Amino acid sequence: MDQPWSGIRVVEVGDGVAVSCAGKQFADFGADVVKVERVGGGEVRRLPPFADDRPHRDRGGFHLSLNTGKRSLALDTGTPSGREVLGRLAAGAQLALVELPPAGAGKVLEALRGAVEAPSVVVMSPHGLDGPYRDRLENDLSIFAWTTRLHRHRLEGEPPLRYAPHVVAMQVGLTAAAAAAGAVWGHLHDGSRRDAEVSAVEALAGNVDTSFVAWSLSGGAPSVPRRSRGTYPVGTYRCKDGYVQLTAGDSPFFERACRAIGRPDFIEDPRFVTKEVRPAHHEEFLAVFQPWLDARTKGEVFRAMQSERVLCTPILDISEALEDAQSVARGSYVAVHQPDVGTMTLAGPPFRLGGVEGDRWRAGPAPRLGEHGGEILDQLGYSADEQQALFRAGVTG
Amino acid sequence: MSGRALAGVRVIELSEVWAGPVGGSLLGDLGADVIKVESYPRFSPTRPIDPADWRVAPGEGPAYEHSWAQHQGNRNKRNMAINLRREEGAAAFRRLLRRADVVIDSFSAGTMEKLGFEWEGMHADAPRLIRLSLPGWGLSGPYQGYVSFGGGFDCVTGHTAVRGYPWRGVEETSPITHSDATVPLHLVFAVVTALRERERTGEGMLVDLSQVEELATQIPGVLAEWTLNRRLPARVGNAEQHVVPHGCYRAAGDDRWVVLAAEDDAQWGALARAAGHPEWAEDGHPWATVVGRLRDREAVDAALAEHAAGREPELLADRVHEEGGIAAAVAGPQEMLLSPQLDARGWFPTIDHPYTGPRIQAGFLWRFAPDPPSWDLPCGLVGEYNRELLREHGYDDGEIDRLAADGVIGSSYG
Repeated sequence: MDQPWSGIRVVEVGDGVAVSCAGKQFADFGADVVKVERVGGGEVRRLPPFADDRPHRDRGGFHLSLNTGKRSLALDTGTPSGREVLGRLAAGAQLALVELPPAGAGKVLEALRGAVEAPSVVVMSPHGLDGPYRDRLENDLSIFAWTTRLHRHRLEGEPPLRYAPHVVAMQVGLTAAAAAAGAVWGHLHDGSRRDAEVSAVEALAGNVDTSFVAWSLSGGAPSVPRRSRGTYPVGTYRCKDGYVQLTAGDSPFFERACRAIGRPDFIEDPRFVTKEVRPAHHEEFLAVFQPWLDARTKGEVFRAMQSERVLCTPILDISEALEDAQSVARGSYVAVHQPDVGTMTLAGPPFRLGGVEGDRWRAGPAPRLGEHGGEILDQLGYSADEQQALFRAGVTG
Repeated sequence: MSGRALAGVRVIELSEVWAGPVGGSLLGDLGADVIKVESYPRFSPTRPIDPADWRVAPGEGPAYEHSWAQHQGNRNKRNMAINLRREEGAAAFRRLLRRADVVIDSFSAGTMEKLGFEWEGMHADAPRLIRLSLPGWGLSGPYQGYVSFGGGFDCVTGHTAVRGYPWRGVEETSPITHSDATVPLHLVFAVVTALRERERTGEGMLVDLSQVEELATQIPGVLAEWTLNRRLPARVGNAEQHVVPHGCYRAAGDDRWVVLAAEDDAQWGALARAAGHPEWAEDGHPWATVVGRLRDREAVDAALAEHAAGREPELLADRVHEEGGIAAAVAGPQEMLLSPQLDARGWFPTIDHPYTGPRIQAGFLWRFAPDPPSWDLPCGLVGEYNRELLREHGYDDGEIDRLAADGVIGSSYG
């Protein structure tokens, strides 16, 4: 009972990345999260990469990252028997997180909401629980397409482009976790349980990094900033051993960048003195700037720019990110021992209570499929015979 | 607001641009009483005073009151503008803190301290106060105090390295602001988590939210590929290594595109029927199987590209969905506004504002019952609630007038 969500019981129903991400937020801060998953194991256990490239439902990277510290119950919620178990599990729980196809979710939601001392219920789906698109199948790419984000992330002459795989589902899961935290807090403080619904399209379209609000208010969609002769230095630049990104086209950043490269004289130089005159002298600036970059590593450029408070970052691949001085100093990544896999590196806490030394976040190992079935059914009061009957009928796994 | 889940929780938001402000609005949606303290006379980058600035939308009055960048992410909060560098301003702010549950700042590490707000002093003065700080690099480590921006977090977490066209150079990768969307979500979760911790311990605390570390939690597949198999994921564009088809195809119309994907044989069958080629999914056809499609990726892609070309993207997507497959027209803002689904759900609100007039806004991130969010307060004006809030904190009108006359609080910039 030493973590913020200790004593809170969460029932997680579904196999997707979104619901797994949502449940992880609670589990890593101490909640007892029971993951109710399909008997054969669902999407989050089937997504590559796998340890040693050998597909296995207990050895997938997404599963190992997102199901940390949970207990697993393999249960067929498509049957009355399964839903009866689910109802008992939900009784007295504070929260249910659900990600199921809306068409089949109705009875599961009834079982959760109808439980004795029913939990608040937060449901994730692609388009929401009503409307003409309710039953449409979608995936990360097609949801991204609906929200203006695919549309605006592109280069001229190229197709619209997504971000890294599964960032959409992750964001949907975080949105659900935020709503769920509010729901549980409200429920505990005013006694009124909440029902929340997160449509993936709405969760993304209603947030930032989209172009709708800019368009609606101003009549035009702003372009994504990138290298141009008009405003510089902005965008990605090559240096000695890789690339850095800069946003220093506007005052005071342009002036700071001039100081960082040892050319404070540029600040008063008639060619660069105002933003209006600079576009005509882009090549002349680059003729000085690029050799300066070529002589320095991305780490050297980063530190030189930051010493003058210029918005600059190196572009790191994931292996470099793990070894970066700041990550190492803060313990931004953590090692977790996963039975059957060994030690795996995971992203550490998304925030630290009590400052950087805070210890309220813990990522436990991810469970094998159905690992805690017996223990959970014991707790729910099912006899040995009843548990065997459920197993024999394929309700549990 | 109108949410009641966080009723009675008072939040002071001292943050600019998006990550912090969006988080503040989401807390407001859940019913928290959010007070946005803006700097004065210095103004936020999302409040440009130049009417020609690219962020300024049409409207009346000063440019900084109708910047779309400010309007995106500042609903449901009451605005003040205080000069914290002035002793009287700092004193007013301290009074606000004593009655607050949470103060959120998104400055670089060290800025609050330079303003005279060391955590130890804040904690002594208001022992139950939670301070949530979200500097880009966190509150410790060799980069503490470094300046940062949303696009930069993407670079240092390994995300930029994997998102891009495989056939284009790294230097052509567009900066994005994905963390400005995810950080506010973790911010809401962090605030409630800290409130629970305070219930347990009875004491306020410092919460260190590094935006870099937050974003690092969002790409578990990229990290797993490295830590499990010591491989750096390649840039694959819209493709999926193990899913064919999975792409974005040019359709009829001016720069219109459609997404098509089939994650299994059933979805492929739907796509094949929609394309008028049911035989593509019949036993014996080389593309009928997962492995067959994987081996024949380019030919499958070419066939779908040929089918999409000349077809109106919405109609094609509708056709695929009728068959039970995955497809979507790539929507810009106008296409999103025309979505039959978002329309049927009444998702787009029209919000009136003194300086922009009524405008269609993006809707809420969630539905919530029995206390749904409502747009009670549009984007606040500079210092709009100075008087109301100072009165709530024990100032009389004479004192408030003096603070205004002395330039300690303000209601305009420039």
